Amino acid sequence: MPKQAANSSAAEKPPETPPAQPDVHAGHDGERHTGRGVRDHLGLLAEMTREFTASSDYKTIVQSALARITTYMGAEAASLFLLSDSGEALVCSACYGPVDITGLNISANTGVVGRAVGMREGALVRDVAEREDFGAAVDAKTGFTTRSLLVAPLVIGSDCLGAIEVINRIGGDGLFDAEDLMLLETLAGAAALAISNFRLTHKIVQQERNQHELELAAEIQRNLLPQPTSRDFPLHGINIPARSVSGDFYDILPLPDGRIWFNVGDVSGKGMNAALLMAKTSSLFRCLAKSAEDPGQLLNAINNELCETNFHGMFVTMVGGLFHPGTGVLRLTNAGHEPPLHFDLRTERFISIPADAPPLGIAQDIAGPDGFPVTEIYLAGGMLYVFTDGLTEATTFGGGMLGIDGVRALIRDHAEEAPDLRLKSIAGAVKLPGQSLRDDLTLLVVEDMGIAPVGAKPPIDNKLSVEDGQIMRIRVPARPDRLKLIRSATEQASKYCDASESWTFDLKMAVDEACQNIVRHAYGNKAEGDIMIDYTREGDVLTVDIMDFAEPVDPDTIKPRNLSEVRPGGLGVHLIKSVCDDARFVPPPPGVGNLFKLTKRLPNKVS
Amino acid sequence: MSYEIRNVNGAAVVALNGDVDLQTSPVVRQKLLESLEGNTKVVVDLSAVNYIDSSGVASLVEAFQVSRKKGASFALASVSSAAMRVLSLARLDKVFTIHPSVEAATAAQS
Repeated sequence: MPKQAANSSAAEKPPETPPAQPDVHAGHDGERHTGRGVRDHLGLLAEMTREFTASSDYKTIVQSALARITTYMGAEAASLFLLSDSGEALVCSACYGPVDITGLNISANTGVVGRAVGMREGALVRDVAEREDFGAAVDAKTGFTTRSLLVAPLVIGSDCLGAIEVINRIGGDGLFDAEDLMLLETLAGAAALAISNFRLTHKIVQQERNQHELELAAEIQRNLLPQPTSRDFPLHGINIPARSVSGDFYDILPLPDGRIWFNVGDVSGKGMNAALLMAKTSSLFRCLAKSAEDPGQLLNAINNELCETNFHGMFVTMVGGLFHPGTGVLRLTNAGHEPPLHFDLRTERFISIPADAPPLGIAQDIAGPDGFPVTEIYLAGGMLYVFTDGLTEATTFGGGMLGIDGVRALIRDHAEEAPDLRLKSIAGAVKLPGQSLRDDLTLLVVEDMGIAPVGAKPPIDNKLSVEDGQIMRIRVPARPDRLKLIRSATEQASKYCDASESWTFDLKMAVDEACQNIVRHAYGNKAEGDIMIDYTREGDVLTVDIMDFAEPVDPDTIKPRNLSEVRPGGLGVHLIKSVCDDARFVPPPPGVGNLFKLTKRLPNKVS
Repeated sequence: MSYEIRNVNGAAVVALNGDVDLQTSPVVRQKLLESLEGNTKVVVDLSAVNYIDSSGVASLVEAFQVSRKKGASFALASVSSAAMRVLSLARLDKVFTIHPSVEAATAAQS
């Protein structure tokens, strides 16, 4: 733009609309500054600020700002130096002028620019010729001749990001003065703010991206946990991560034969690396458990697999076990984990099962040929609680640590609740809604539901012997022509209890319908197996255990039908439920396919 | 279980005797459906039924449904207390036409 035209235009135009490209090439110093006042400076500042906020392309904006500053100050060249991450070097990240020095690396402690940054103070070298200390190395490299030099640091609060350097005034004596420096310092302030904003924005974007990845990882991790089990299932678990991803885990894995594998694990450390080790360990458990026979061997195999992968000193503590709902017996191995608690309902006392194996992933092949040590527990109608230190070390509302005594108290306090609710209550005692935990919390309960908690007996040896209190046991082929025999036996058992005619009829019908279902559905009318029935009286309750040796049936498929619909078939379950106090499938003893338990209270004697 | 089929006042009267269960209900079903093929009036005499299970009840329901399709008359008569217990538990005592005696049933049908 022609100098004179720009000058006259600035003079003619109203002062509130400063020229877009104010010309600085006035004839001499006096005119230069009087012809371009504070409004012009503010105009440039406003223009630069607008540009800084309008675009997200950092390089373009810095480049454009340098161009504006160079032109406005009537200089030959300008460059922007930013401190490196280490703070030891200044790197030219943008420049404007005849020579491109982008990428040039200079010491942060020496030279005019280095000193300006170190002192957080602008520098004016009016005439390079007058300064012996001016390093001419850059000029030598670039072929550019520096005559006069301005440097303004980019200061934000107590931080200095780098500096802007402006070189050689065009026209006149080609030298800068103190007023030029003040102007540059003002512009550098705006540039520093803009650069700082960019860095902050970039950081936030990066953090949001990381957060999103964490959320995805957390979702995958939640999918690694088992689905909630139904209320009448003997095992229940709960996992509450302290952060979005968890180093804790648990699993419940029913086998086709009725036995159930379970585990609770805790990976040392937290965050993403712990989550990855958790994923590996829980996958190994699920995969290897399907072919394992014993927890000691299973955990030994997992240990050896984990040791083959280097997890930088991380390890896993785990309680792994196999529960047999039919007998109430479970076998478990504790590898360096918080001792599980067996709550004995008969004595209302707790038995702690300490770790007798080291955590997994530390040393390979440390177990003997039988694997890690195994503890066998007969639950006797009681429960086993397995948890991570996230529970024992959790802070209570009172402020202290819950501790093992606190855990025992919570288990006692909530003993009457349904298992799934009980776990929530216990976890809820240390976690307020909306508050996060200090550590991941995992809690699992194994309940022995097959045997009545009151007056629990030792495990029944394969149900092959007739117990005390039993009236009789019959075993007949599952064929339609044997149903009459079963009805007759049921009548005799009922009469043995002095039950009335109508009571006897109802029981006979219920047992008959249940056996009919075995003949038709469990054995599929193939008459390939037996029906075994135990009649037991306990007080005023007659229990009829109806057992078959067929494949386990899914109890959910056997439901009473809607009676508003008149059609043949499907009545049996309704009839059974109508006349019994309780009728349900319970976990069968070993060797038995299904156990359907009918309970019917004997009527009060009428004199 | 045994059965006897006789004709009373133009109605086929099927008298069942003994236990109607999974073993015997296929025969009951067959006899009821046969009677409905040749007659427009069928009465089932349940006075001598000691026991009837859900499969026996299902045979009665099926015969009842066939009779309605055919526009035939189908009734139960002289229902024993054992059979009545099962019918009422199944809430079918309001579905079937039930008469106190075979005579009352045939009289009502004519």
